[in-house]
Amino acid sequence: MTGASGFIGRHVVAEALRRGHFVSAMVRPATPIRELPWADQERVTLVRLDLRSERHLTEVLLGIETVVHLAVAGWRETVVTTENLLRAMDAAKCTSLVLVSSFAVYDYDRVPPFGLLDETSPLERRPERRDAYCHAKLVQEELAREWGTERGRCLCVLRPGSVIGGNDAWTPRVGIQMTSKWWIRIGAWARLPLSYVENCAEAIVHCAEHRMARGETFNIVDDDLPTQRRYSRRLQKLTRPQPHILPLPWPLLLLTAWLAVLANRALLRGRGRLPQLLRPPSLSARCKPLRYTNRKLREKLDWRPRFTLEEALGRIYRTDE
Amino acid sequence: MRDSKFSGAKALRVAVIGTGEISDEHLRFLAASPRARLEAVCDLSPALARLSARQYGAARAATDYRAMLEEARPDVVHVLTPPHSHATVVRHCLEAGCHVIVEKPIAPTHAEFQDLWTLARGKERWLIEDHNYRFNKPVQRMEQWVRTGRLGEIQEVDVRMALPIREASSRYADENLPHPSHRMPGGVVHEFITHLCYLALRFLPDRSIGDGVGFDRAHALWGNTAGGGLFKYDELDALVIRGGVHARLRLSCQTRPAVLQIVIRGTQGEAATDLYQPYLVLNAPRFGGGQLTPLINQWLSGWHLVFRSLRNFFDKLQRISPYEGLATFLDLTYASLATGGTPPVTFDDMDTTSRLIDLLVAQAGS
Repeated sequence: MTGASGFIGRHVVAEALRRGHFVSAMVRPATPIRELPWADQERVTLVRLDLRSERHLTEVLLGIETVVHLAVAGWRETVVTTENLLRAMDAAKCTSLVLVSSFAVYDYDRVPPFGLLDETSPLERRPERRDAYCHAKLVQEELAREWGTERGRCLCVLRPGSVIGGNDAWTPRVGIQMTSKWWIRIGAWARLPLSYVENCAEAIVHCAEHRMARGETFNIVDDDLPTQRRYSRRLQKLTRPQPHILPLPWPLLLLTAWLAVLANRALLRGRGRLPQLLRPPSLSARCKPLRYTNRKLREKLDWRPRFTLEEALGRIYRTDE
Repeated sequence: MRDSKFSGAKALRVAVIGTGEISDEHLRFLAASPRARLEAVCDLSPALARLSARQYGAARAATDYRAMLEEARPDVVHVLTPPHSHATVVRHCLEAGCHVIVEKPIAPTHAEFQDLWTLARGKERWLIEDHNYRFNKPVQRMEQWVRTGRLGEIQEVDVRMALPIREASSRYADENLPHPSHRMPGGVVHEFITHLCYLALRFLPDRSIGDGVGFDRAHALWGNTAGGGLFKYDELDALVIRGGVHARLRLSCQTRPAVLQIVIRGTQGEAATDLYQPYLVLNAPRFGGGQLTPLINQWLSGWHLVFRSLRNFFDKLQRISPYEGLATFLDLTYASLATGGTPPVTFDDMDTTSRLIDLLVAQAGS
């Protein structure tokens, strides 16, 4: 497991242990062990390595059946770490990879408003108009698919939606947290592709275990996905002190973004780099009203999220204690 | 060192080695310049080499620079690899008969720089270190004021760089895989002092006077104020003296905001700039005479700051960064390579800078 100390990674390790697996958990050399509750468990081998260097990587992969690749950094680092990992997997004759990608790879402009975004939806063709994360994840998927095809290896690509957990259930897909007291909600009726971190971890381990997952791509989202309006109101009630929500209609912001694009073309000959919220492709990726589904995961692998949204929020905000 | 091969209008065949962050600045220039034709991009990472080649229209991507030099046969190579590798890569490029444009510092010591220069001369190739900030518009303007005597006789030069690179988010502070610059004799500070040195030396009295060394003496205090084992040093405070002119060079890895300030003080007035949040103010005699000059200077400076704040906003929108001088530097360099002229960063510039760095680094730990 790479990125084992990350936000999702630490839950994936916990879930794999819960299911009785032996886990080789790769963390960066300076990661403090006290932050990892499973670090001293018997079935965990803690490996301190930085994937940006190939040193010792092959050795630690010897005898590993499946690698779950979660580690992510800046875009250049993400590319280099993935290359290093794939080379080392070849050398160690490790044949199965579960790559944790992201919803960021989709081209939201090519899905009609309120349309269904699923595993067959088109991928972003021009990542440079979006952001470094989108670019990194696309290149990462491309590298993994090349490796899978050329070397005849087993690859499963997982794309989690907006993963919530930790101490905060906020997601940028709702809008902007201006201050702790003022939130701006962009849109109202867009469904949020939420995935509670423990559900997401369970889905990842489930796919790593399942032979039927090999060669497939799955989106990971929970059931009962809320709209921005319902979710922001729910968060508002759970947050102390209670913030004020300023609603901003999605069409208005989209219109503003297009006006900014026109102004950029007219005044700056299109050379201007507008802020993300004024770039229509980035804005769409964040707040466009779409529908999402976990049907493929349910039907192919018989996966069900363990926690409902209310249970997930209860665990995040400790209202269930 | 003139080469008839480059005196025509033919575009030079160019290769880039290293695709780190700075490579985007070089590649953007090369993709747009009529004087250059990007032949190859090389990086240890095949994917990064391929992506850069695709994005900037290079004919090929490579992972082995020596094989690439053989196959692509470039006229010019940009060496953009980590600093500790410069000397080796530059040597191989020169041996392959290429002109070399290299990121700072060209080599860890002056002796190694001299070896490379001797090799370049033997091969009749140019070896050019990137002194990009010298070509930023405010610095060029300051040079003009100094040349025209607007500031009178120069007495003091202050160059201060603040880079908060000890913060946890900085790649230099990453303890997981220490940045290669930590291996330099002066640690991470060594990577940045080239900028301080060439900027200060630019405003010291003419190097053609006297011994030609460019400075009489230099004193440096190095410190590691935040401690820890990763950084050898995180502070430098140096004084460089040439005749009666004092240049103060300061670098801090902890203070905010990030700045690269240059202040020139002369017998008639002073000029100040910051290249990271660009502005340029001049306090010099004005048409109002002694009584009104301070008032006019303050008034003009205030207006300039208001104007610059707007201009900086639009510059940011247009992705005009503090690297704006790099495009000018490369443009002048390619013009000189094409016409057989002398590049804008000369042997003297690099030699004096390298000597000064050697002297400052020699005082580290003392």
